Amino acid sequence: MKKELQSKLVGFILPNFIILFIIGINRALHIDNEGILVFSEFIILPILMGIISSWFWRNLNLTSGQRVGYSMLNGALAILLSFVFLGEGMICLIIVSPLIFAFVITGVFIGKVMFKKQNTKLNVSLISMLLLIFITDAVSEHDHENMVGDKILINAPVDKIWKHVVAFDKIKQGNQYWLFKIGMPSPMQTTVTGYHLGAGRKCIFSNGYVFDEKIVAFDVNHNLTFDIVNQPLDPEIMGHIDIKRGQFILKDNGNGTTTLIGNSWYKLHVFPVWYYDIWAESITRNVHLRVMEHIKILSEQ
Amino acid sequence: MMFKFIVKWLGSLKSVPMVALVFDSCLKMHAAIVNPQLLDCIDEVENEVCCWEGVTLSLHQYGGTQFNYKQKEIGHLHSNGILDIRLDRETKNLLVQENKAKEHHVFKKSGWISLYIVGKADVENAIAILCLSYQNAVNG
Repeated sequence: MKKELQSKLVGFILPNFIILFIIGINRALHIDNEGILVFSEFIILPILMGIISSWFWRNLNLTSGQRVGYSMLNGALAILLSFVFLGEGMICLIIVSPLIFAFVITGVFIGKVMFKKQNTKLNVSLISMLLLIFITDAVSEHDHENMVGDKILINAPVDKIWKHVVAFDKIKQGNQYWLFKIGMPSPMQTTVTGYHLGAGRKCIFSNGYVFDEKIVAFDVNHNLTFDIVNQPLDPEIMGHIDIKRGQFILKDNGNGTTTLIGNSWYKLHVFPVWYYDIWAESITRNVHLRVMEHIKILSEQ
Repeated sequence: MMFKFIVKWLGSLKSVPMVALVFDSCLKMHAAIVNPQLLDCIDEVENEVCCWEGVTLSLHQYGGTQFNYKQKEIGHLHSNGILDIRLDRETKNLLVQENKAKEHHVFKKSGWISLYIVGKADVENAIAILCLSYQNAVNG
């Protein structure tokens, strides 16, 4: 009984510390690559964690339900350790959690079959392959930039909208987007040092964080483009995404209405792209829509 | 419903390594939350079949647990309770007529059949039909 409990606990603790150690080593060896989080850290390592746990649980006769439950507990422990030791933000960890849970469960069931077979050759080759993928991925070049664009129709002429595009007072409307509702900072206000090319612009978020911007295109009533020159040191953003540039384009529809287009360019530092870009696009889109809806309300008054 | 949709429209993704296994893990997670009894039924089938001489388990390439007799597949069980069993066409037609099984959920014209394990009541039938496939494999 005592031995069973011991195996169970080791199956939780040891894999987590091995994975934490691998991530720590990887970060220490790659301090020059802007702390990119490669896809292996979210896929290969959770699978490896599951396989290692299965090794310790191989003689416990666990049911599938127990394996799933323990895997989720293990994933939750990994998330907690990432929060404590790696300084990751809570929202980021919520975003990453489905990946962690799914891959830890996959690893646990791969391990179950592996250790049932007692096939040492297969076990060694699979684990070697996973480690090889991890190392190859860790030393490979990672670069992904994307642009997200949104548009809305405003029942006002361009000259009435323009001043609100350049700067606007505090947004009073409540948040609709679920990530903003659970604590992700949302845009609140924009200020400018002047209405001209090269002027400084600040985008202030709900938690007080400020994005410093510089206006690089100032085509009155048509195009406002700004580069982000400094972004806040928020654990939710740092090392995960760089917002590079923002843009508003106004198109006069000739009937007293205007189409307002908002574009943002960003660079991702977390991989796999197929997973994180969905989130990055969704968050950027909701930042756009919150600001553009506010501009619409101010302009239509 | 969701499984059918994914098999029909996202089926090509199964050739991407691990995708089917991860999808099956999501099915397990879903079952553990909304219908934990299903996982017990799957365990029951698995534990019984594992005891048959010469039977080994492996991961099915499209997700789930595969039962083999001397490297030859006799059937596989997905984590939403769909059990696919290899049979000859004659046995298949008989079982379908008796309403003990359905045509395979994808390969309808093959000798394969599908069984939908929902609760404890389906386990006995599932094991009995798997046993037919096992006997076919044993007898060559």
